[in-house]
Amino acid sequence: MLHLPCWATDCLKRADPALAALRLPLALYEKQKGAMRLVELDERARLAGLYAGQSLSDARALCPALQVREINRPVLEAIFGDFADWHSYASPLVAVLTDEAAYGDLVLDITGVSHLFGGEQAMLEAVTGRLKNLGFAVSGAIADSIGAAWALAHFDPGRIASGDVREVLAPLPVSALRLGEDQIEGLTRLGLKRIGQLYGRNRQSLTARFGASLVLRLDQSLGHIEERLKPRLPPAEHFAERRFAEPIGLLDDVLMTAHDLALRLSHALEREGMGAQSFHLFLYRVDHKVMTLTVNAARATRDAGHIARLFAHRSERLGAEYDAGFGIDMIRLGASLLSPLAPAQIGAFETQDGTADLDRLYDRLASRLGGGAVTRIKFVNSHIPEQAARFESVIAKTPDDALALPDAARPRPLRLLPQPEPIEVAMAEVPDGPPQGMVWRRVYYRFVKAAGPERIAPEWWNAEAVPAATRRLDDGAHETRLETFDPGLTTRDYFLAENEAGQRFWLFREGFYAPNATPAWFLHGVFA
Amino acid sequence: MPGVRREQQLSQLRERIAGIEKRPPLASAPAVPQGERPGRYGALLNPPGGLLHEIYADQQRDGGAAFGFALGLARGLLSPARPAVLFLQLAHEGKEMGLPYGPGLKSFGFSPEQLIVARLANPVDLLWAVEEATACRAVAAVVAEMLGEPKALDFTASRRLSLRAASGGASVLLLRYGQGRAASAARLRWRISPASSQAPPFDTAAPGQPRWQVELEKGRLGPGLMQAGIGFLLDWTGDGFEPVGTAGTSGDGGLSRPAPSGAPPAVLGDRLSQAG
Repeated sequence: MLHLPCWATDCLKRADPALAALRLPLALYEKQKGAMRLVELDERARLAGLYAGQSLSDARALCPALQVREINRPVLEAIFGDFADWHSYASPLVAVLTDEAAYGDLVLDITGVSHLFGGEQAMLEAVTGRLKNLGFAVSGAIADSIGAAWALAHFDPGRIASGDVREVLAPLPVSALRLGEDQIEGLTRLGLKRIGQLYGRNRQSLTARFGASLVLRLDQSLGHIEERLKPRLPPAEHFAERRFAEPIGLLDDVLMTAHDLALRLSHALEREGMGAQSFHLFLYRVDHKVMTLTVNAARATRDAGHIARLFAHRSERLGAEYDAGFGIDMIRLGASLLSPLAPAQIGAFETQDGTADLDRLYDRLASRLGGGAVTRIKFVNSHIPEQAARFESVIAKTPDDALALPDAARPRPLRLLPQPEPIEVAMAEVPDGPPQGMVWRRVYYRFVKAAGPERIAPEWWNAEAVPAATRRLDDGAHETRLETFDPGLTTRDYFLAENEAGQRFWLFREGFYAPNATPAWFLHGVFA
Repeated sequence: MPGVRREQQLSQLRERIAGIEKRPPLASAPAVPQGERPGRYGALLNPPGGLLHEIYADQQRDGGAAFGFALGLARGLLSPARPAVLFLQLAHEGKEMGLPYGPGLKSFGFSPEQLIVARLANPVDLLWAVEEATACRAVAAVVAEMLGEPKALDFTASRRLSLRAASGGASVLLLRYGQGRAASAARLRWRISPASSQAPPFDTAAPGQPRWQVELEKGRLGPGLMQAGIGFLLDWTGDGFEPVGTAGTSGDGGLSRPAPSGAPPAVLGDRLSQAG
């Protein structure tokens, strides 16, 4: 647990070195109920006797040299989020604790990682020392529960409590339990100022007087009730990482490292007989920012070469977004969406159906072009031509609907226009028959052969279709039909028509034939 | 005797040149079984894989015909080991030309699950995707459509594609439109246009199966066959190409058509192949 009491002002000072060079008290104010009040203070301002909630004019009178800025909470919260992500260099599970403030409190789950730093004590010193070097005021503590660590970080920093924390927490004030203002006030009025004084009290009466949250917080701090943190980054079940003595900056170096990490990760996955579908590359920059690259595979894999290639393709799409800043000092490759992957026999008994090769190809294409660009044709159980087939990403396949398969005996065009295009037609010979010619995109086509009509009616059994159709009639929007196609659900009569050059078209008349009306005609597709 | 020796020497030299140029030796491409049909168009119905084709149509309005012809060529290359065909298209051009339509593929005779459609943002990405797809062992053919004369597709790019296709074994079919012919390293260049189809016997006023006017402008398919500059009419039977004049007259000529290279997958066994 890390607590950064002056994070907002420290962050401003880092962003604006001129401000830090002034070495004057700094405070942030906010307009509250019509008055300017201080909300964030740095160390110097605190020493000058200023406090949060003080009005700005009072503070200026007390401390004429005070530098003030207006607070921008959304920006601070966003920056703190990045700042928190960066801490995943120490542990993959990092969360921001927003019980007291939207920023300033960080929780790291260091289960099983502290030995990498040479023990808990050394890890705490390394993490806090690094922040102090960067100019942040920070206090940290390590405990078994989030509540206890929070209390220690705020009121007894530097402490490492393992096992039973009852004794450790007992002398701390009740405000170390993350309580509301009125709860603290009420407890203090009753003389319950230390956490230790709450031990052994009648829980029912405490709940009746101060609400259930008091008992809950107490239990959470003592570890009786488990409190879960919400990790900010996707939790990687398996990961490999590398730290650099000297920060690196070139994209090629990053990709080379990604390849090495992929090798290590694939060995780890192979030992467990697992493969993963999603890989995340975290680049930790020296100036506490993290870049994340994610690639997804169509099927679970643990092939290091393939994973590295996917990242290489993904990085080409990155372009100007890639910014190593002052350098990258750590890279981590994580894998998620794990599933069992049996060891494959290579060689003798390989089946040659090519699906594995194709999936790899789709991964490579999708990693550079984006998942939505590479698609397969998926049939939908519908009679409406434009709804009968849609494109579906090949790396996110859904099972096929056996009922949706089209009937090959019906004439359908090879190419369907995304929108039916309005055409002007020469009048049909017989009232309900095919037209003799059409003007499409300002060119006249005279038809010599035609087949049809094939009548396609709206799907009345589809509940959504009916209100749409009635609404359309109510609007009386019949005049505008020639300009744009309204996918409103009217009956269409489709014709296949061929001109003398052999070009074949799929066109339809919207609505039924009526003696005195001019029906609207549309071109919907072209045949081979 | 000296004639035979010369033939042998010639074929050895051809193979050496093919090896140097990384091209499959066309002369030794699997020929159509002799005797089953007049061999004149045999190689056309069964072109070997690993070639760069250019398919030119005079106008963009013939996009449907060009796409159908390319699919017909690609279909002959499908095999159980190479079960996929990719169609690549620029996203904004797709809006103008129309997008491949699944039920239409099915009624054309191309199994829709074997077609992967990729829509790309710019020609550079498109050429990259073509190369990437050609390198895949499971891809039978890549059909790429580009309108106009994109700068990215110069002679160097087409040479790259040609070499990639030769080493990968998948054919690349570039769909181009217009009268201009930019320099390219394509082995074969087709010029196609739709032709008035033969009406089906049951309805003389209705359009029949697709028919193309085809001309091989560049390249040669098979020994002594399909010389450049010869135009002919080609029908689509729903299961393969059929030169006009050989099928229509002999009644069941369409049935003695040679099998496409490799056995077609089971899903392809639609009504039309059953008819045979």
